[in-house]
Amino acid sequence: MSRDLRLDFFRGVALICIFIDHIPENYLNYFTLSAIGFSDAAEVFIFISGFTAALVYGRALAARGALIATLQVWRRAWQLYVAHIFLFVIFIAEVSYTVRAFNNPMYNEEMGVGDFLERPHIAVVQAMLLQFQPTYLDILPLYIVLLLIFPAVLLGLRRNPLMALIPSALIYLAVQIFSVDLPAYPSGSVWTFNPLAWQFLFVLGAVLGHAETGARDRERVVQAAFWPALIIAGAALAIRLSWTFHGIWEAVPAIFLRELWPVSKGNLSPLRMVSFFALVMLVARWVSPQARFMRAVASRPVVLCGRHSLEIFCLSILLSALGHFLMSEISSGFAMQAAVNLVGVATMCLTAGLLDWYRAVQRMPVAPTAS
Amino acid sequence: MTFWRRFLGGPIAVAGLAVSAALGPGLARADDCATPPELTDAEPSLPHLAERLKAHQPVTIVAIGGASTIGQAAGSPDLSYPHRLEQSLAKDFPGSPVTVVNKGVARQSAKQMLERFPTDVFAEDPVLVAWEVGITDAVRDTDIDDFAATLQTGVEELKNRAIDTILVDMQFSRSSTTVINFEGYLKALHRVGDLADAYVFPRFDMMRYWSEQKVFNFDDVAAEDRARLAARVYECLGLKMAKVIRRAIP
Repeated sequence: MSRDLRLDFFRGVALICIFIDHIPENYLNYFTLSAIGFSDAAEVFIFISGFTAALVYGRALAARGALIATLQVWRRAWQLYVAHIFLFVIFIAEVSYTVRAFNNPMYNEEMGVGDFLERPHIAVVQAMLLQFQPTYLDILPLYIVLLLIFPAVLLGLRRNPLMALIPSALIYLAVQIFSVDLPAYPSGSVWTFNPLAWQFLFVLGAVLGHAETGARDRERVVQAAFWPALIIAGAALAIRLSWTFHGIWEAVPAIFLRELWPVSKGNLSPLRMVSFFALVMLVARWVSPQARFMRAVASRPVVLCGRHSLEIFCLSILLSALGHFLMSEISSGFAMQAAVNLVGVATMCLTAGLLDWYRAVQRMPVAPTAS
Repeated sequence: MTFWRRFLGGPIAVAGLAVSAALGPGLARADDCATPPELTDAEPSLPHLAERLKAHQPVTIVAIGGASTIGQAAGSPDLSYPHRLEQSLAKDFPGSPVTVVNKGVARQSAKQMLERFPTDVFAEDPVLVAWEVGITDAVRDTDIDDFAATLQTGVEELKNRAIDTILVDMQFSRSSTTVINFEGYLKALHRVGDLADAYVFPRFDMMRYWSEQKVFNFDDVAAEDRARLAARVYECLGLKMAKVIRRAIP
């Protein structure tokens, strides 16, 4: 079975972009996926995750039946949950370190030392219930919820793709029209990534990943969608670039800024979806599953990052928190930013390599010991 | 925008200070809270305010915001930045009675402030509103797009009532930026100002400059010094804002 390298490669790209995007005032922000259209690395990550989930667990469903497949999916959700708790502990450590400096007259009255520090016992429980989602801890709760409902999606997909797609689309539309939100902690806030909206992207990924047999149908869709996708992606790129340049030199006009902005990320605005799928169509057309550039040695680190996405994602969160901290404490100048970016990405790639090596070693047959 | 300015801000400020030091005591007393010139060289468009001041008519300004508007950290609204602004403007425009009404309420999100507009802003019939917003939203992790939409609604309403607007962005301290990610909210606020042609008073950049140049230390402040620090910062901010407003009046 030849693995579609595109899945790992682009998920790796998304992870690197997520790392970069999580460091504020990072000049590399200008070069991540968010700079070329209205969608960003989050869409890539969730879409590919849906795709691979359908691929892997769809096979399990066919081979082992509904019960086993469901347990496998939920076991994965548990792994994500454990990772989320781990990241939360990191968050608490980081906040606790700076808590003494929060005796800051300028902020005391506004913040009450950040409500979560005043009531840590509540905050911890809320985090365990996925209700408390401070910075960095917003994607995993979404992914966990998506996996929890995934068995239902899989069963629907087995019958007919539409059985999964139609309810999903209806819920997505309800969010767009009625602005349905999912409340979180502290009261008044909502889930950063609204699962009711983002589930649609996940399910679409699953539909495409599951339809392995419908390869010819997919070919036809990709062919038909090429020109619209090219035009849409081109327009999105031009508009987005104009916004970026307008932020640097006011003389540059920002095309359609007034009409289009803000583009809702939390509720996955249709603009983001369309922009994203235009890119998907172009990649499906221009990049073959085993394309040479992805098999090159230089691409291997990226592919490996994508292959071990959960561990690398957690690591990226840790590294971006650390990088942000260092930039605050020491300097946020050019040299420091370059160092943080370089060391961060290198660490991610090296760790991915290490994980891959370990996995390969584990799989090697053990020679019988001589007696 | 911010990135490039910060890049150049340092050298320019150093050059400026060197020049004024070289010119010696002949120059006016050195500014205690100097900032790089590009932070105060904007020429905001405040037509309604300009008209009133030129005609020597009374001027009401409403400063709406959070705790840093009401001056809680300094201990009294008399030490807040709106009061300092009032004092400074009264001196600059003696022909026009200037009143700055302080409508700061601690720990309010943008949406909560917007809800207060009818009672706290429009009822005062101001010609200029200084809207200080964003800290509580950043702390509470409000959805950034919702935040932007709320700001846009507010600024639109003010425009429709022929009220000039100045937006005031967030406060800066090194330790808070480690834990609270202001960047998205800052960008959103500045973009709203850009789209609506409303001037954004760069409080964040100013305080960051002071922090980096050790003019003020916002971290590790002893208990007995806190109120005094806050009062000094508010005073500087009030003076800076008055300076910018002066530039808007031809």
